Amino acid sequence: MEDFLVGLAPPLIKGILLGGLYVVIALGLSLVFGVMKLINVAHGDLVILGSYFAWAIMTRLGMDPFLSLVMGLPLFFVFGFFVQKFIINRTFRISLDAALIACFGISIIVQSLCQAIWTPFARSLTTDYRLLTFAVGPVTIQLRYLLNFIGGLAVMIALREFLRRTYLGRAISAASQNEPVAERMGINPNRVYSFAFAIAMACAAVAGVLQGLTFSFQPTSGPPFLIISFGVIIIGGLGSMAGTFIGGMIFGLTQTLGGYLSGGSMLVQTIAPYLLVFVVLSVRPQGIFGR
Amino acid sequence: MKIPRLTTLVSILVLVVLALFPVIGVPGNWLNYLFSFFIYLALANMWNLLAGYTGLICLCPHAFVGLAGYTLAIGTWVGVPFQIGLIAGAAVAALFALVISYPVFRMKGIYFAIGTLILPEALKAWFSFWRPVGNVYQGMGAGYSVAGVAGFTLVDRYWLALAIAAASIFLVYIILRARLGLGLTAIRDNEYTAASSGVNIFRLKLSSFLIAAFIMGLAGAAYYIHNPRINPVGGFSISWLLLPLMATVIGGEGSEEGPIIGAAVVTFLRFLLADYGAWSLFIQGIILVIVVVTMPQGIAGLLRQVGAYRFPQKLFQLAEGKIHKT
Repeated sequence: MEDFLVGLAPPLIKGILLGGLYVVIALGLSLVFGVMKLINVAHGDLVILGSYFAWAIMTRLGMDPFLSLVMGLPLFFVFGFFVQKFIINRTFRISLDAALIACFGISIIVQSLCQAIWTPFARSLTTDYRLLTFAVGPVTIQLRYLLNFIGGLAVMIALREFLRRTYLGRAISAASQNEPVAERMGINPNRVYSFAFAIAMACAAVAGVLQGLTFSFQPTSGPPFLIISFGVIIIGGLGSMAGTFIGGMIFGLTQTLGGYLSGGSMLVQTIAPYLLVFVVLSVRPQGIFGR
Repeated sequence: MKIPRLTTLVSILVLVVLALFPVIGVPGNWLNYLFSFFIYLALANMWNLLAGYTGLICLCPHAFVGLAGYTLAIGTWVGVPFQIGLIAGAAVAALFALVISYPVFRMKGIYFAIGTLILPEALKAWFSFWRPVGNVYQGMGAGYSVAGVAGFTLVDRYWLALAIAAASIFLVYIILRARLGLGLTAIRDNEYTAASSGVNIFRLKLSSFLIAAFIMGLAGAAYYIHNPRINPVGGFSISWLLLPLMATVIGGEGSEEGPIIGAAVVTFLRFLLADYGAWSLFIQGIILVIVVVTMPQGIAGLLRQVGAYRFPQKLFQLAEGKIHKT
């Protein structure tokens, strides 16, 4: 029994730390979902685009992936703003389905762009600290998983403060809580949508760096992240930062514990989060905190 | 004797001419192009039935195609002839649709879309680690080859695909003119009103879902008879979703002629851009976004708007009048 518990500790810690990555991805997704009630199906691919951007900066200019965010964040922010302004806002006026299909088109564009520019080979952000480990008591912790956790925490706190303290942040919260009323209070919904999408893209840039440090990635590795972060939103609830954080941990744990309890089976590790999302969706179709 | 309507006659004529293509010596690569066109057409028609007439944005055609392809391939390994495998594949796809129907129909709108998107990803993962038959060189990530289809020539495959495409068009035609179609459009327009008017939502949605899964499975299995090798990445590839989605959206969602126009455009683009690798998908994605932004009703809607149908319609009416007089 004691052996079992000692063996359980590493996947437990790894799962919780890995959850931070899913939190960052899910925060971007839930911001857009909150204001527009639209799932941006391209979000997973945008995260992978973030990874590729950091990889390109790293190999070309020799910059650290985290430093590359100095360029990546504003670039993704502006890109997101214009994508929303010129594509999604226009289709959103037609119908939700049209917007969903436009997002799907963006997903295809981003995916094939990564494939065309950076070839379909698997890459990873190979920094010298990527594989560092250190021991805390009896367990060893991998630095990259710890970075995920710190990143998740940092993005969450930054976003929460932004939503609470700035005018724009409060406008976004207002629009996601009750849009018609927010509009009557003088908030321009299209502007709010554009900024929400831009911030979501910035989150994707951060998530891309963390993801690239943790796993290796290909142009097609986006959709799993989309599904997992969608699951995080469902479990965590919209607009609840703490809920999102817990949701992220749950998915990290599902993956690592599922893998551990099945004896390191890759199949269980890959399929367990999907099953969890599907079961939650079918038991509570509107999400656990849905209205 | 009752004279059939001219539009029916023209459709039958087109079908006969297409069926005679191999006999009158049309070159092989033309048959190849048309084969792809028919497969895409069948998929697009069924996707249109779901998205355009039932209001189900179903993001899992690749689950149906992959399952049918795998059933066919694994079947040939245990000695099932591919003709039976073809039907069995479609049946397995429909069975899968039946199994998932209860959970996915509880989800609405955007939740339904994501819920269905999960399934092919999960299936892809499952088939990447599963080897029911065969040796080390088959199964799992490598996939299976479809055995025993060498005797089935290109001409036969062409006819098979033509039959599937024609069946899909005919099926949609029949459904739309039956009670089922009326109920489906009622559900698409307003689910709650439809339910309160006595439409059995679950049953109607299920019928259209099952029909779509069966035909998509049939088209997928036919594709894997033509290209006799299936692996998890190809069989559950997102391009099986992209093809019908693009064809329907470009052609015009919720119109009968839309998928036909769209499938022709998509097939043309595919072969035109075949040499450009990833850029091909990139251009297709851009076209998809431009079409959604600028003409949400697709090409069919645009044609209707500018009144392109008015002249041929008049011509038909005139001709029909003449025929009936004599």
